[in-house]
Amino acid sequence: MKADLNEILRYLGAEQASEELRLKVAAVSDRLTEAIQPRFTYKVCPLLLENGQLSIPMAEITLKSRTAKRMLAQCDQVILLACTLGAAFETMLRAEQARDMGNAAILNACGSALVEAGCDAAEQELKARFPGRFLTDRFSPGYGDLPLSLQPAICSTLDVQRRLGIYLTDSCLMIPSKSVTALIGLSDTPQMARIRGCAYCSMQKTCTLHKGGKHCGI
Amino acid sequence: MGFDFLQNKLLFLDGAMGTVLQQRGLTPGGLPELLNLTDPQLLSSIYCEYIDAGSQVVYANTFGANSLKLAKAGHTVDEVISAAISIAKDAAAGRAMVALDIGPLGQLLEPMGSLTFEQAYDLFREIAEAGAKAGADLAVIETMTDLYEAKAALLAVKENTDLPVFVTMSFEQNGRTFTGCTAASMARTLEGLGADAIGLNCSLGPDLLVPILKELCENTRLPVIAKPNAGLPDPVSGHYDMGPEDFAQALLPCLEAGVTIFGGCCGTSPDYIRQLRKVLDGKQPVPRHYDAAAFVCTPVTPCRLDGVRVIGERVNPTGKKRFQQALLENDLDYILDVAVQQEDAGADILDVNVGFPGVDEVAMLPRVVKKIQSAVSLPLQLDSSNPAALEAGLRVYNGKAAVNSVNGEPEVLERILPIVKKYGASVVGLTLDKGGIPQTAEGRVAIARRILDAALSYGIPKEDLWIDCLTLTVSAQQEQAVETLKAVYTVRHELGLQTVLGVSNISFGLPNRILLTQNFLIQAMYAGLTLPIINPNQKEMMDAVSAFRVLSGEDMQCQDYVARFAGDSSPTASVKQDNLTLDDAIIRGLKADAARLAGIALQTEDELALVEGHLIPALDRVGEGYEQGKVFLPQLLSAAQAAQAVFEVIRTSIAEKGGTPVKKGAMVIATVQGDIHDIGKNIVKTVLENYGYDVLDLGRDVVPEAIVKAVRERKIRLVGLSALMTTTLPAMEETIKQLQQLPTPPVIVVGGAVVTPEYASTMGADYYAKDARQAVDVARKVLG
Repeated sequence: MKADLNEILRYLGAEQASEELRLKVAAVSDRLTEAIQPRFTYKVCPLLLENGQLSIPMAEITLKSRTAKRMLAQCDQVILLACTLGAAFETMLRAEQARDMGNAAILNACGSALVEAGCDAAEQELKARFPGRFLTDRFSPGYGDLPLSLQPAICSTLDVQRRLGIYLTDSCLMIPSKSVTALIGLSDTPQMARIRGCAYCSMQKTCTLHKGGKHCGI
Repeated sequence: MGFDFLQNKLLFLDGAMGTVLQQRGLTPGGLPELLNLTDPQLLSSIYCEYIDAGSQVVYANTFGANSLKLAKAGHTVDEVISAAISIAKDAAAGRAMVALDIGPLGQLLEPMGSLTFEQAYDLFREIAEAGAKAGADLAVIETMTDLYEAKAALLAVKENTDLPVFVTMSFEQNGRTFTGCTAASMARTLEGLGADAIGLNCSLGPDLLVPILKELCENTRLPVIAKPNAGLPDPVSGHYDMGPEDFAQALLPCLEAGVTIFGGCCGTSPDYIRQLRKVLDGKQPVPRHYDAAAFVCTPVTPCRLDGVRVIGERVNPTGKKRFQQALLENDLDYILDVAVQQEDAGADILDVNVGFPGVDEVAMLPRVVKKIQSAVSLPLQLDSSNPAALEAGLRVYNGKAAVNSVNGEPEVLERILPIVKKYGASVVGLTLDKGGIPQTAEGRVAIARRILDAALSYGIPKEDLWIDCLTLTVSAQQEQAVETLKAVYTVRHELGLQTVLGVSNISFGLPNRILLTQNFLIQAMYAGLTLPIINPNQKEMMDAVSAFRVLSGEDMQCQDYVARFAGDSSPTASVKQDNLTLDDAIIRGLKADAARLAGIALQTEDELALVEGHLIPALDRVGEGYEQGKVFLPQLLSAAQAAQAVFEVIRTSIAEKGGTPVKKGAMVIATVQGDIHDIGKNIVKTVLENYGYDVLDLGRDVVPEAIVKAVRERKIRLVGLSALMTTTLPAMEETIKQLQQLPTPPVIVVGGAVVTPEYASTMGADYYAKDARQAVDVARKVLG
């Protein structure tokens, strides 16, 4: 798996980068992918619609979010996905910050893009696993009105601490920081692309997360 | 209860608790430990089934019974653990031993998370004491992925109970845990700390664990445990893919690898244990080969001493004014930088010495150890004569460290060797005693023998003793150089010990020191020196080591040598860029050039003129480019770091003259409570520091009270707060509120991904800064 160079440059707010900077970013990205590959785990859960109430009984999750209802309208199953670069990335980033802050900022953006590449790879695996079924775009807690407070239920259903070494803080942040959880609907009918990454996000121009080289995980 | 019999017999543990409970209706999110209070019957039946199936040890249902998890449920650790042990003991009724099961705390330890080593120790101590009081027969620490957490748990059990203790960790197929720990590092560290048996549990099926179990067996003399999963779970059905029979058969290669203690983890059940007994009963332990090599490590970097290994000497205040100043000012970033440079220069181990008048070594050594280990992966050698400082440092060290040093004096050996033994460290023995340094090689070897006898009497294995035959200055005692080399030869080849020498002492007081030091280094390596203590930043020394490794055959196919020198055109590489100015070097982020040009500029200008006339105007030009979208974040930061290199030249120059540092006013910066993402804050700090501001960085996840305290004590006028997530904005607001209740509130600037100018003013902040550049503007307005 390899991160997309243009996506990294977007995270850095440096789409107009000189050739020199592009080469530097590409070198950091290569060094990262050589050292670290994303790992992921997922679970396919039945989706229940009862009296207008959408829920994932296996995870004890009730979905009140309008985003979730819209995304999962034609689905009978939902995949809970978690993907991470793991603790090794944190160590690498800390070491880089002690050496060269400029490279650390680049590495941070490469990490964001690589964990997205990991989610893409998981989607490819899922598509192959369920021929004849259709996947919705993936969406994450914190996106739209899907609350971050879903994190504990998702994380414990996927047993991410044991499986991937992801820990959740009391404020629902994931450590290691380059970790993503997401929901993907499964349907018998083709699903239209609604969202995918910062490039398609309506907040792309104003998002401070995006400007700071970070992203919200979708 | 002893486990002496473990050496020549097999022992059988139980299988899963968690997945069995789930099969019987527990939802994955629930706290299984509460069943000890609500459904003892269910647990009792599971223990009985395991014992009937052949388990000789059952793990009580206490895996997650720590106060972090139980507090939310309103129960105490003591209450849950005493119930759990009592249910298991009643069920066992003497037919099996009952283990206190200690799992991970569920929060990450520093430096990754915010739980400190000391807090983790206290949480584990509470568990260990409750288990011992309730009558557990042994303690098992399991499913650990962080060696640091395993160490905290092991120390807590060993220091507060008499229970035998097993430690098992979870590895991935790449042979490492999630935090990057290798099996060799795990084995050497935990055996040194006094575990009774070690091994693997969870994560994979037995088939995939075999190579990791082999590595473990080669690196420990302890009994080795395998408690694998029933294969891998299916993401749709959740079922594990290995049945009881396949599972039991797959354990046979584990037995062949040297495992003597068997059980099952996730997905296994009493049926698996029954099958496992059927297959393994009557089998004998397989003889193992232990690799008795000298060894130090961090979790990610095992360092087997099977050739010359360079110990970097630079983390040491002796004769270095700038380093002394950093120690007195608590400037740990500077010390880290010295460590990082040595790692990059190719050192294998770093000596760490923080002894200096006015520095509390007992408090400073552990702080520096933690700081260095947060970013450097090399093993450390803690250098002090103060036993309390050594103990404090070894306690928080992650891995197997070395201690520098003891000598032939019995009182010194008595004070320090017990600490070395307790923490499983290696130790350097200096060949001197009350009578001073013997003038003959024979005299020094005799002391080495005495130190070896003393080490062995404390149970420190021979390979953990490294002998320093002492380098004397050749210009003062010319005949001693040969004596030192003779002593090194004998200690290495007759006593068979590792040898250490502080090499550069040889050339004091003579011209062309490097030539003499390099020659002595080469001769000493030939005589048998394995651990030269040198400055790895001196190219000539590292070149000599590299060449020696080729000639000794250690560098197979000359690979490292070729990697070091291929394409090296050093005579022509240093083309002078004569027209490069200091300002240009800063703007283009050329660190080394900026430092060099600053040194030249200081010959004609004073420090302040350099800052005001070059450094800040150059940074401003980069900052303006950034604002206009012509320069991007990485370049802004590279320029800031080139400026930092210039600052370092200025600080060193001032420290040499004994003057006061150039600083433009102090501010506090922190990421608020609950927020652990700190790269944004670190970026702002880097840039501010290079404008000359004295930035007191309180770190991440900082409680409001700590920020208020720092502001009050240091009379701070400007505070910068950062928050990345919406969930931590309330903590930012609370911090601002508390700061504003001070008699003279500081000016507050806030930033971070989720903060907007509007929200900043609602919260009562004085300024909002969208990036590092704007933070500098605020600092200028407030601090000048």
